Amino acid sequence: MSKIKIYLQPTPIRIWHWLNAFGIITLCITGVQIRFPDHLHLFASYKSAILLHNVAGLVVAFSFSLWFIYYAVVSRTLLKTYMPSRDDLEHGLARQAKFYLLTYFLGWKNPHHATPDNKFNPMQKSAYLAIMFILVPLVSLSGLLLTNVSPMRDLVLMIGGLKILVAIHFLLACCLCAFLFTHVYLATLGKTPLEHIKPMWTGWEEEDSTEQPHHVTGSSRLPSVAAMPRTGMTTRRRP
Amino acid sequence: MKTEIVHKIMILGLQISLYTLIPLLAVATENSACLECHGDAAAVGESLVIEALSFDNTAHGELGCHICHASISDGHPDDGLTPSRTSCVECHDPISQEYAASLHAGKASCSDCHTPHRALGPTAVSGHDMNRQCLTCHDHADMLDKHGEWLPQADLHVSMLPCITCHSSSDQYVISLYIIKRHGNMLSGGYELASFDELSVQSNGRPIEQLVDRNADGYVSLAELRMFNLDPENKQLRLQGMITPEGVSHNFRTQDDRWDCSFCHASGPAARQVSFLSLAEPDGSYKRVPVEKGAVLDALYGTPDFYMVGSTRSTALNYVGLVILAGGLVMPIGHGTLRILTRKNRTKEEE
Repeated sequence: MSKIKIYLQPTPIRIWHWLNAFGIITLCITGVQIRFPDHLHLFASYKSAILLHNVAGLVVAFSFSLWFIYYAVVSRTLLKTYMPSRDDLEHGLARQAKFYLLTYFLGWKNPHHATPDNKFNPMQKSAYLAIMFILVPLVSLSGLLLTNVSPMRDLVLMIGGLKILVAIHFLLACCLCAFLFTHVYLATLGKTPLEHIKPMWTGWEEEDSTEQPHHVTGSSRLPSVAAMPRTGMTTRRRP
Repeated sequence: MKTEIVHKIMILGLQISLYTLIPLLAVATENSACLECHGDAAAVGESLVIEALSFDNTAHGELGCHICHASISDGHPDDGLTPSRTSCVECHDPISQEYAASLHAGKASCSDCHTPHRALGPTAVSGHDMNRQCLTCHDHADMLDKHGEWLPQADLHVSMLPCITCHSSSDQYVISLYIIKRHGNMLSGGYELASFDELSVQSNGRPIEQLVDRNADGYVSLAELRMFNLDPENKQLRLQGMITPEGVSHNFRTQDDRWDCSFCHASGPAARQVSFLSLAEPDGSYKRVPVEKGAVLDALYGTPDFYMVGSTRSTALNYVGLVILAGGLVMPIGHGTLRILTRKNRTKEEE
């Protein structure tokens, strides 16, 4: 069976993704030391953990801007990429959940096939929508307020006080960390554990030519997947 | 026989009471004789006037004027003699020696920081007033710049801590909660320490501690703190927390364990259990009402504005966070286990 390559992840997106990944992991680790310093001493001093946490927070905020500018201004596909369609909500979510929770174990194929124009399955779209449009902005803004308590004191008081702000930041950060566990695990659900992770590093995804015969090797401007025949992808291989 | 014993005990009690009370009464009489003139600025001039209300409640006031001004005769002021003034070292020798070895020695005398007629212990002075004392010599902007060279959020630390929390040593530190009042509108903010008069107005004639200590039992419970913070009547008031020392050394140098933040922030919740509500008195001093142990660790409404990262975390929130994280592990662990168990289905497929 011959292989073809599709250019799935453009360079700005890959830069954003890995900046985000390393930034969030750093934030989680330093965050644990900042909240539980009497139990955890990963970094030399408490101050260094705080400074690293603040810098990582800025890196994530910067990478978020990069992501937003790329999708909203450069490729102009922000809503198309992340907003679930009506079909996604009515059928796609259930179909994808059924795959993850049942048919995957039976050896069926993933009903969604990632292409440059339709990267995410309905569950990914919904999850990323919540993560990128609600969770990351809120955790970043609460973090920004926590690093500037004195100058933004009135805003902190309007929110209800420092403790409520800290509670929001902590619980949102826990949500983000919980998502990270699920995200990394689901990324290993390809034919090989690295199949879906590799394209986020190289940009290119390899796939069997029989799966998408209309793809053009090496093109970053592929025809819309909507125009491609999708029959084989949602059918069982082993009846 | 029994009656005799009771009589003897009563006589003994009377004697003890008299031995204690007579000197106190004598001091009070002596003080009031002096303050008859020195309590009136028109009589002695601004430089010699003493505020009776604040002087009487100090340790110096309890000793009496003659202890420090021993040479005053019955003919004062008509005798034309300048009354003697004792030196602080007479009574405070250990402190004087400690101070003499400090960086401040030679730059400020005792009276530059302390008014003998208003000498209060550290627990009877608000953190704000302590800092006001330091700021008479140390420029606020300069201090912000200097602290900003190494201290994260220097402006927050400088405004929310008494200087002496880091620049002197004490055997014990507690959290003092002060009532602050908004003097501006929602946008301009402007919270300042509430004065006794302001709190009296707010409490509608009740003792001001009952603004928080609602059942007047001399103890502030967590429930009372929450009620204070949620009461719409108190929307202009908030509680500001400060870490304050219970005693003050006079070496006035930055303590070694304050440089790496660990002293306050890495001590964990166990070190942040003791707190007091500190309330303004009519004489400008502060009295304290003990607060329920660990109340400042409450997640949201106990002390909504007091949070010390690393050491006042809420255990309840920790558990909620743990549940969220556990939720994130459901897929990797649950799905991952089933994935391993059913791997043959997918291997056959690939063949």
